[in-house]
Amino acid sequence: MYGGGNTFEGIKTDSLAQEDPGMLAAFEARIERGEKIEPSDWMPQLYRKQLIRMIEQHAHSEIIGALPEGTWITRAPGFKRKMALMAKVQDEVGHAQLLYSAAETLGKSREQMIDDLINGKSKYSNIFNYPTFTWADCCFISWLVDAGAIVNQLANAKGSYGPYCRALDRICAEESFHLKYGHHCVIYLASGTAKQRQMFQEALNRWWPPMMHFFGPSDKISAHTEVLMRWKVKMGTNDEMRNQFLDMYVPKIWELGFTIPDPNLKKNESGKWEYTEPDWEEFKRVINGDGPCNKERLEVRRVAEARGQWVREALKTPKTSYVTPLA
Amino acid sequence: MNSLDPRVNRLPQLKEVVLPKAPLDQFGTYEVFVQPKEGKPFQHEGIVHAPNLELAWVLAKEAFTRRFTCTSLYVVDTRDVYVSPLTEGDKNAYDLIPEITEQAGNKKNFEIYHLVKRGKQHVHVGTVQAVLPQEAMQLAGKQFNNGKIVYNVWAIATDTIRFTTDEEKELWLTLPKKKFRDASDYKGGDKLKAFLEKR
Repeated sequence: MYGGGNTFEGIKTDSLAQEDPGMLAAFEARIERGEKIEPSDWMPQLYRKQLIRMIEQHAHSEIIGALPEGTWITRAPGFKRKMALMAKVQDEVGHAQLLYSAAETLGKSREQMIDDLINGKSKYSNIFNYPTFTWADCCFISWLVDAGAIVNQLANAKGSYGPYCRALDRICAEESFHLKYGHHCVIYLASGTAKQRQMFQEALNRWWPPMMHFFGPSDKISAHTEVLMRWKVKMGTNDEMRNQFLDMYVPKIWELGFTIPDPNLKKNESGKWEYTEPDWEEFKRVINGDGPCNKERLEVRRVAEARGQWVREALKTPKTSYVTPLA
Repeated sequence: MNSLDPRVNRLPQLKEVVLPKAPLDQFGTYEVFVQPKEGKPFQHEGIVHAPNLELAWVLAKEAFTRRFTCTSLYVVDTRDVYVSPLTEGDKNAYDLIPEITEQAGNKKNFEIYHLVKRGKQHVHVGTVQAVLPQEAMQLAGKQFNNGKIVYNVWAIATDTIRFTTDEEKELWLTLPKKKFRDASDYKGGDKLKAFLEKR
């Protein structure tokens, strides 16, 4: 599971003016009652658009996120770690399939989503634009990036859109192994040789800034999302999610005797975590294409699509129509 | 490319621009139903994209039964699923199915599925014999509509479904042996405890 820190489009105040007020009220009442919205139910255009955007970003993140970890399968230390990492990467790609399907029920075709990923129009989780230099970087992703994603996804599984929630329930169930496996890998590095400890500490230093970016821009500067919270598209603010992650995992990192590269990181009396404000300019720069691995990630996808094309062409049968999947 | 991964560096340079995907490049969709345990009803799990029914079955096995034990699955083309209106509150979907007189012709089997809680999955409730799907739904209304509110009904002609054969069921026998895919196989507690005591 990789989703997190989704970027939402700015919402114009008049974007609901076109909607039927009666239908809108009934729609909001249903969400308020805690009922799910299904594909054939009426929904405002803005809800549909933002959900497609969010679920699609999540799907792309699973596909792209498999690359920095997948690259370590052949070099994972030992047979057991190789088997586990292979199973994990396979899970992630499977999750992308489930998520694309959920997005498709809202009316965007899979062809269109893959096109938008390859041509750079759609985003994916920014953290995967950074390289995995050593095995320890791979362990950081398995444990802590997955942990961050789980914080987000457990919240989103209580959202309002039925097909997305069902996909997330399945994904969260499959994820339990990823988190335990990641922690297991890090415990082994932590209790290993001085060199192994150093390796993980260096990975932690590299990945901490992108990890803080992972939950998206601070509430102070992020786009207006009240309506998305009311519609249970977004289940918590970026800062709330970041705080929850820090609360759950900083103690576990410290327990292993590692340091976190932020001198201002501490929990205050009210139970909230304080930290150095992440560099949001870097976040923007990387998400807009100028990160260490953006080009590589998209090129790998582009080559895979191009190389697979003849296979898909050969398998095509004269199926005459496409219908939106049911649920 | 200048990647840390030599395999990425060996990828071919693409000459031409990758054109936008043609319609159906990702194939059509098939609905997947899984039986979690012997004796339990099949329930809808999601979809796969596939070029045909046979490959849909193979891909469904990978996508939906890779991690959890199950006893069987089947797939059907999305276009072969007949769907009633979706209702809410105390409205029963069966009340919205238009009346239809008994049809002349060869009857065939239809599998019937109910959605009894919004937000959950459609579950198989039984089989009826009819000429048309609409007629099948009407018959199902008489047989399976037992007072509980049904929010959505699906009917699928049995002969359009790709079932799992008895022989194929062996595929799932190895699942419990793949322990390395379970969280329970990664107990780091003892190692962590020893490490903390030493520090």
